[in-house]
Amino acid sequence: MTDADLDPVIHAQSRLRVVATLAALRTGDRIAFPRLQELLDMTAGNLSTHLRKLEDAEYVLVTKTHEGRKPATYIELTPRGRFAFENYSAALTALLRGSS
Amino acid sequence: MSTDGTDAADNAAPFEPEADAAPLDAAESLRIIAAQADRVRSTQVDGRVLFGLWGVAWLLGYLGLYLTANGSLPGGRATPEGVLTPAPLAFTVFALLIAGAMAATIVYSIRAGAGVQGVSSRTGAMYGWSWCIGFVGMSVILGGLVNAGASDEVIILAANALACLVVGIMYMAGGALWQDTRQYILGIWIIAVAAIALYVGLPNTYLVMAVLGGGGFFLGALGDHLVRVRDRATAQGHVGSQSASKAHP
Repeated sequence: MTDADLDPVIHAQSRLRVVATLAALRTGDRIAFPRLQELLDMTAGNLSTHLRKLEDAEYVLVTKTHEGRKPATYIELTPRGRFAFENYSAALTALLRGSS
Repeated sequence: MSTDGTDAADNAAPFEPEADAAPLDAAESLRIIAAQADRVRSTQVDGRVLFGLWGVAWLLGYLGLYLTANGSLPGGRATPEGVLTPAPLAFTVFALLIAGAMAATIVYSIRAGAGVQGVSSRTGAMYGWSWCIGFVGMSVILGGLVNAGASDEVIILAANALACLVVGIMYMAGGALWQDTRQYILGIWIIAVAAIALYVGLPNTYLVMAVLGGGGFFLGALGDHLVRVRDRATAQGHVGSQSASKAHP
């Protein structure tokens, strides 16, 4: 196995950090955009860009809602995204084992 | 997508070259995954804080009740039946310590869960209300015992035993909900301590509660700490060296 076999959607530093953070939440939990931003130290624009790509791949689900009058955005990993992340992690471990 | 007022994403072509497209190696990727998992965990409820807080409240609160009841500190009195009971001031201090620990627990837990919705927040809310309803139910039962003519001694002992039963069952439920064995064991421990405390009689009930009850929370905090240290070492060992992964498949 080589690097080329790793899921290209996840195998980029920023998106990997986003997906790893969402995967660390409990299954069935979604996180508010500002809280996610805080956990990643990313600008809102940067995070939005990466989220859009993950959304296009159907790895994350972005839900827009209202809390009182304030709009709020929540992000969660889809089952497909979680599955892709687990495959990716397994592939990394396999790569490391093979190369040592 | 114009998440939270930024339209930057709308200008980005789907597959434009990325600023962070620097090649990642597998070890670095694993390190990133571990670091983010750690970061998320650091914002979640830290069991050491809550166990420690309740350990202090129980130890000091019950010790005050014990020392005034057995006459080491002034203010205690004997009932007509000759049972030694604590000073009213000691009860006030005890109540303030418990109320303070409760308030701190609620604020801390709500802050830790802020910005996360879904299964956890629903579970947490139901669990939080269970504590509240349990104690309201206990108060109603105690009121009933008073009406039925129970003596001061019976009320004091029953209040302590019932409160511990609620606390013990809630910890066991918490252990089951969050798959946390330490919490579950602490629940069993608290129920056992309450039973011992009831049978040793006043004023030794309070000493048992302070030492074994408060001590149980401190052991819980210690257990949590040891598990954290071990988990951290395991995570680092996992990512640390490539050869290590071969040695420990």
